[in-house]
Amino acid sequence: MNGLALQDIRACFEGAIPAVVATCSADGVPNVAYISQVFYADERHVALSFQFFNKTRQNILANPRATALLLHPVTVRFYRLHIRYLRTETEGPLFEGMKAQLAGIASHTGMQDVFRLLGSDVYEVEQVEALEGEPLPEPPPRAGLLGAVRRASERLARCASLDEALNAVLASLNDLLAVRHAMVLMHDAALQRLYTVASSGYATSGVGSEIGIGQGVIGVAARERTPVRIGHVTNAALYTQAMRSSFDAHVPDFEPVLEIPYPGLPQPHSQLAVPIVNGGRLLGVLFVESEVDLRFSYEDEDALVAIAGHLGAAIELLQAATDSLEATASAPPTAAPAAPLPPLPVRHYAANDSIFLGDTYLIKGVAGAILWKLLGDHVRQGRTEFTNRELRLDLALRLPDVADNLEARLLLLQRRLVEQGAGLRIEKTGRGRFRLVVERAVQLVPA
Amino acid sequence: MSTAPVIPPQLLAVMVRGVSVIVSSRDAAMRPSLMRAVGSLVEDEGREVTVYLSRPQSRQVIQDIAATGHVAVVFSSPSTHLTVQLKARSASMRQAEEGDRPVLAAYLLSMEREIELAGYGRELTRAMLAHKLEELVAVRFTPELAFDQTPGPRAGARLGTER
Repeated sequence: MNGLALQDIRACFEGAIPAVVATCSADGVPNVAYISQVFYADERHVALSFQFFNKTRQNILANPRATALLLHPVTVRFYRLHIRYLRTETEGPLFEGMKAQLAGIASHTGMQDVFRLLGSDVYEVEQVEALEGEPLPEPPPRAGLLGAVRRASERLARCASLDEALNAVLASLNDLLAVRHAMVLMHDAALQRLYTVASSGYATSGVGSEIGIGQGVIGVAARERTPVRIGHVTNAALYTQAMRSSFDAHVPDFEPVLEIPYPGLPQPHSQLAVPIVNGGRLLGVLFVESEVDLRFSYEDEDALVAIAGHLGAAIELLQAATDSLEATASAPPTAAPAAPLPPLPVRHYAANDSIFLGDTYLIKGVAGAILWKLLGDHVRQGRTEFTNRELRLDLALRLPDVADNLEARLLLLQRRLVEQGAGLRIEKTGRGRFRLVVERAVQLVPA
Repeated sequence: MSTAPVIPPQLLAVMVRGVSVIVSSRDAAMRPSLMRAVGSLVEDEGREVTVYLSRPQSRQVIQDIAATGHVAVVFSSPSTHLTVQLKARSASMRQAEEGDRPVLAAYLLSMEREIELAGYGRELTRAMLAHKLEELVAVRFTPELAFDQTPGPRAGARLGTER
């Protein structure tokens, strides 16, 4: 390679502006093709998305020499890569990373099943050529990202509960990285879904809203355990629209059926979803988005992966710490003289543990089962003080497959109750202990 | 009788309007070369095609076209992704001149519109297509083959040769 390194032009691999590649058949006929994705593999290699058995494909198998033309999305300077085809990967981290990014692009118009990556064509980069032109000014270098990660990590280290940890992450993203729209979703391994437990910067919190594993940018990041970053969502959507006209008959629209609306931006331009993984287990997804194109760079991705790593470790540690604590002294019960309101009917549907307060949907699943147990104990025994441990044992008896991450379920329930403002609350009274506050009589209605 | 391929009206309209144009050739060692054109002119229902290359950016492509005659050119609309590729085994080249200015100006205007529809400002288009007239080479050819390359499973389908 000559003086210019592949590393220096990483911005060109954002996929915002499509790249083109020229190949040549064995009998000497050149061919030009647009490439959905030129992926930075390492400092000496790029991978091109192989989606269809086309002329480019035939050509590189017969004659491995190719030339790619890239455009820097900010400076608008052209770069030519002189590359040589080495091999095609159809599994492994490179393939999964590319596939996830491509699937994320496709998911915005429901093209998951069509816009598929058949392989990652790996090329050795022999030369990087910067072309003459009249480029626009370079953006000023971003300073202080490492410092931001450090401060986020310090804030996380001070947290003693999941609630605090999630708030610390969202506040750090806002204060230190100027991220205005963010959410954290937790993984429900039994149901293969992700549920929102915290968000910032949206009109509604969306706490309790769900996304299937593999659905959209967030779901794909979860399924593939890899960051998914899209710098130009509208452009990606346009691209898939062109593909879609060929497939309309075969592709059913995906129907997000959600009781609680997903809080995301109506017209996002940039999105970045980072899996929260600890000990090889998927715990959830940290997701950020923006109304601005190309808002999240490689550097942002690096920072978010580091922060998500800290968050993952914190979640597991806080969970373990909570589990190891016995409830000793019970806090004094709050005297809560019930206001003279008619009893609140609370309906429970056993099929999915969904709970309605009056006519308003509150929550379902494990969080719903928890509330139904708490209210049952309260009505039958007058109890208000509970421990995580007894809840876990109770759930393990009744829902043996789904009793994971109790802290997150409780937090979800706590936040949904606050949002509903129906006179029911959960207050933490210590580590591993909490109180059910019932300000208004409830009437339990099994449905 | 011309053997030039028939280009369907929808794709021909895209080419005539002025969209992204990428020009490619190859050298004697079968190494491909390519560059984006800064202008195009499509005449006689697609039988005569002229693309403009900036010499400082396109030395290898120009040299390869001169040496081998092979040229492959893709027209693609950034706003709709309708794409067509033309191929020929011979092309003529000349220096661009004052008379080409209106063609280049019309092309720039069309590209600004196209790229705005794809979500980018005019500043980007102007920087991308920046050139000096005295450095431009006009490459003219009659397509021998044409392919529909609109993204999708039918990409690569050869367009008919009957008129």
